[in-house]
Amino acid sequence: MNTSTAAAPAAAVTDDKGRRPFVRLLLETPEVGVVAACVVVFVALALDKSSFAGAVNLQGMGFDLAQYGLIAIGESLVILTGGIDLSVGALLGTSVILMSWFNVRAGLPPAAAILLTLLIAGALGLVHGLAVTRLKMAPFVVTLVTYTVAQGVTLAITSGTSITGIGGTFSDLGQTYVAQVPLPLILFVVVALIAWFFLERTYAGRQVYAVGGNPEAARLAGIRGDRRIVSMYVTSSLLSAFAGILVLGRMGVGSASGVGVGWELSAIAAAVIGGVSLVGGQGRIIGIVAGTILLELINNGLTTLQINPNYTNIVLGCVLGLAITADRLRARSIARRG
Amino acid sequence: MAAGSETAASLRDVTKAYGPVKVLDIPRLDLARGQIVAVVGENGAGKSTLMGVLSGTVTPSTGTIEVAGRPLPPGRPDHARELGVALVAQEFPLVGRLSVAENLLLGRRPARAAGGPLGRIVVDRPAMRAEARALLAEAGIEQVDVDRPVERYPVPVRQMIEIAKAWGHHPVVLILDEPTSSLGPIEAGRVLDLARRHAAAGGAVLFIGHRLDEVRAVADRIVVLRGGRLVADLCPRDATEERMIREMVGSDLARADLAPPSSVERSATLSVRGLTADGLGPVDLDVRAGEIVGVAGLMGSGRSRLLHTVMGAQPRTGGEVVLDGADFRPRHPADAVAAGIGLVPEDRKVQSLLPAHSVRWNVTLATLRRISRCGVLRPRRDKEHAARVIEDLGVRLRSPEQPISDLSGGNQQKAVFGRWLAARPKLLLLDEPTRGVDVGAKAEIYALIDEAAQDGLAVLVASSELEELLWICHRIVVMARGRIVADLPRDRFGKEVIMTAAAGTQPAAAPQGKAST
Repeated sequence: MNTSTAAAPAAAVTDDKGRRPFVRLLLETPEVGVVAACVVVFVALALDKSSFAGAVNLQGMGFDLAQYGLIAIGESLVILTGGIDLSVGALLGTSVILMSWFNVRAGLPPAAAILLTLLIAGALGLVHGLAVTRLKMAPFVVTLVTYTVAQGVTLAITSGTSITGIGGTFSDLGQTYVAQVPLPLILFVVVALIAWFFLERTYAGRQVYAVGGNPEAARLAGIRGDRRIVSMYVTSSLLSAFAGILVLGRMGVGSASGVGVGWELSAIAAAVIGGVSLVGGQGRIIGIVAGTILLELINNGLTTLQINPNYTNIVLGCVLGLAITADRLRARSIARRG
Repeated sequence: MAAGSETAASLRDVTKAYGPVKVLDIPRLDLARGQIVAVVGENGAGKSTLMGVLSGTVTPSTGTIEVAGRPLPPGRPDHARELGVALVAQEFPLVGRLSVAENLLLGRRPARAAGGPLGRIVVDRPAMRAEARALLAEAGIEQVDVDRPVERYPVPVRQMIEIAKAWGHHPVVLILDEPTSSLGPIEAGRVLDLARRHAAAGGAVLFIGHRLDEVRAVADRIVVLRGGRLVADLCPRDATEERMIREMVGSDLARADLAPPSSVERSATLSVRGLTADGLGPVDLDVRAGEIVGVAGLMGSGRSRLLHTVMGAQPRTGGEVVLDGADFRPRHPADAVAAGIGLVPEDRKVQSLLPAHSVRWNVTLATLRRISRCGVLRPRRDKEHAARVIEDLGVRLRSPEQPISDLSGGNQQKAVFGRWLAARPKLLLLDEPTRGVDVGAKAEIYALIDEAAQDGLAVLVASSELEELLWICHRIVVMARGRIVADLPRDRFGKEVIMTAAAGTQPAAAPQGKAST
């Protein structure tokens, strides 16, 4: 056993020194593929259609990116603990309606409406977390309940008609540009940085990975995994509601139909494309962000290329399939060499 | 009694090696029809491997096996079953959610199932139930509802169901792996009866046993394994318990001189009184600072449970634990870690490693809070800390960033030790500290344990390897059925004493531990 471990560095040295470790590092960094794909797709589209890299289109993508990216981060935090949150999209839709209802029908100032909605979302996340940790319910089922109920609540409140006349604060948040950059995009970058800091630089973040990677080992090492899991569900729900603020601001009306529906699947897809393992314990923020960007580039690119939108999902599905296959092959090649 | 009977199964030159380690080496073994052959041996003597080879779950490195005159293709459990080998494993592969009847007929159709193409696809429930009931009746199992899910029955009943399931295959060779270890005396008697009936009907039984009295009572022939080799082939007349233990143990290991706990008047780090938990206790035990106390016992005797209960990983139902003079009631292992206890669990892969993550992450897992400031981990500090642990423990690796699953078992285990030693605990609980570790790394791990104890760490080490305990411990307690049945100081160490106490043939005579002094 010792001989095999001792032999490895020797073999690396005999190979040409400079290149090998770099190539190996690239190979062992799971995010490389998706980041490279982002660059390739962007360059290709920009070369083909000059309007793609134009300011207007980039700003539009920035808005999209913020709303999908926020829930993708929330979703990924839950997946890292070994769970899944199906409610992120539906909860976003409900948050939009709740905020506009509090603001317009209940006459609350926008700040209070936002706060109240965040509280409700946080409480829901708490319920998810407790159901998963205390009652040992399957995360899939727990959040499926919320997914269904949240969509129902949206319909019940609005009866299908949108709520108009929301306060100016929302459009301030959702439509402002700071030096040509959409404010939502900046907020998304801030959230991504915080998430990165949490996961990479705090001991609680490391414990999240530990709990997702091997819950029993984490428990026996004295890590209170339940707390980490609960807090990730709460964060996920809060991020959904937060993304809801930006969506509401961008649209200007509390839309009753279609907002957030199916977005959880985009969020999961972005996470998986970005190298997050659905079993838990593996994945980094850079990959998640890159995964979201890639999906957005493709989505937007297909529109720019004026391809029939009915084909969009086929392409996105194929990209997802490609990503998970590539990830599997990479993991297997590492495992073989080890 | 076996005179003239034909051979049910024969092994020729069968060996099994994992890497350079030969775990089984049997030049010749024949199982005759009508005979119950008992196999005894210490943990790791090769009993399970022998069973595995015979039932097709383990592929032998060399050699051939014949069952009822037909060769057994290696490593094919389905073929072994077809040829008539049925195995009752210790951990029963029953499908908990399925009903008793479905489990009993798992993988085959009832003999009287409806014919035709439909009968091949559609489950014939009445026939299945009827056959399941017949099987249970044949095996002497009463009051089991064949429609209830198996998981609703307690372990002894499940064990009986498992035996009935094997019986249902009408095997030529019936292998029973410690079938009575989870059973009460009445059920155990039934199982032994069943084995006798099977032999009387012309089958062969391979019986793996830990309870030596039971082995003597049931077997027609007793085979002793030691270190993968067949060291004795006894008839029941010659096989006194003393003789069996002597053959199992071999010559006593030459004992190295161990430094006594450094200062004589050390205070007790851990003091346990009347501790009970599920399947444990009451247990009284003291471990002093600088002392290495071994916990010996057979499988299921409560060794791991004791450690897990002290750690707070298993709920305690009663009793008191005093740690370093203070009452200690952990509700989560995190409490134990905060109070200065570390646990190196038994199953490295399942209970201690983050297999996909780097060595660095793995060695810092228990000290994350300590090396962070206000909850923030600084990469430099993190890396330095990991590098120090790796160097102190002599873990051999390419880089601290490589996944820990790349390392050899010994280096993985050293990393886990490092994780805990870095936390500077007062009490270290070790469960099978050298399982799956090569000989060189073993010696290094022993040295680590010894060194830690010299520094005043109290160590409680549970192990199924007696040599290990004899080698490193100052004192050994022996457990049986969740209790401590013997407490041996170093001058009374001996494999035979321990085995005799652990087999628990004279439970009344064993001292209840001297911990009360």
